[in-house]
Amino acid sequence: MKRAIELAKKESLVLVVGALYLWAGIAAPDKAVAALAASGRALVSVALIIFSVFLALGLFGTLVDKQAIGRRLGHGSGFKTLLLAAGFGTILVGPVYAVFPLLKAFRDHGARPAVIVTIITAWAVKVPMIPLEVQFLGWGFSVTRIVLTLVAAVVLGLVMEPLLRTRVPVAEELAAEPVTID
Amino acid sequence: MKFDPTGLIYLTVVGIAYAVVARRTPAKAPAAAKAGIKQLASIAPTFLAVFGIVGLFEVFVPPSAIERWLGASSGVSSLFVGAAVGSVAAGPPPAAFPIAATLLEGGAWTAAIAAFIVSWVLVGVASLPFEAQTFGWRFALLRNGLSFVAAMVIGLGVGAVL
Repeated sequence: MKRAIELAKKESLVLVVGALYLWAGIAAPDKAVAALAASGRALVSVALIIFSVFLALGLFGTLVDKQAIGRRLGHGSGFKTLLLAAGFGTILVGPVYAVFPLLKAFRDHGARPAVIVTIITAWAVKVPMIPLEVQFLGWGFSVTRIVLTLVAAVVLGLVMEPLLRTRVPVAEELAAEPVTID
Repeated sequence: MKFDPTGLIYLTVVGIAYAVVARRTPAKAPAAAKAGIKQLASIAPTFLAVFGIVGLFEVFVPPSAIERWLGASSGVSSLFVGAAVGSVAAGPPPAAFPIAATLLEGGAWTAAIAAFIVSWVLVGVASLPFEAQTFGWRFALLRNGLSFVAAMVIGLGVGAVL
């Protein structure tokens, strides 16, 4: 029972979509079938690309020496370091739950917040997925989005650092630190 | 239906990369393939659901609704809606593309859709507590807030270029 609940939680989107189709099937069977057919067509048209994307993701995950890169990004937050961080972000793969702890390890080894922010932002580029984006949205869209995302990665890194340093206490810090009056 | 070779081309490229890796470090290629397939299997149900949504969108959501919420005529508000929907949506990044394409076909503004994609990957309302736990609330709120703004700016840029 507990496992069933956990599964339902993990695949809640599947349940929601299933329920929508069920409702559609009762309310307008013809349209539900048409929707299902459209879904199938969309999926088949990119199935091979999706499969290849994940094979590429596996390759990226295995080949990128995260520790070595972490050591290189461990010092400095100059423009060059941020460019390197942006480059690393584009080839970084994995879900939030794997990437954030990795970046925390970088930070604990001395990487500046600017570097962390730049990596996270550039992580939105996702090199192995570019063919999929191009397939759906075209080269012009994809290339422009990627270039602008890389620019934003460096800019956010530069902006984030001073913003983090200004002392505006957040609720968590207020709770954690006893109030002292100097 | 016209046959589209993109998938085959990409598969071939990835296959060649695997062959190169297998020759240099034989142990790494199978490990990489296994990791990739495992990841695919774990998000396959979500993928199916997302494509299910694409079909529902095509048939049930009238273009006028997409136009009203995400159309170019709504200007800044559609840019904001795009970024907001992307922030709340918590799906695997590649799933954003088919949904974005469907919305574009339905008459959405390119800028709003680009903002949607960028915020889909950069701003995570659902993963905010995890990010805060990892880096602190201050960092998490600032980064997500700035990324939200960046998503809209990048959206405008893509809209201007295309």
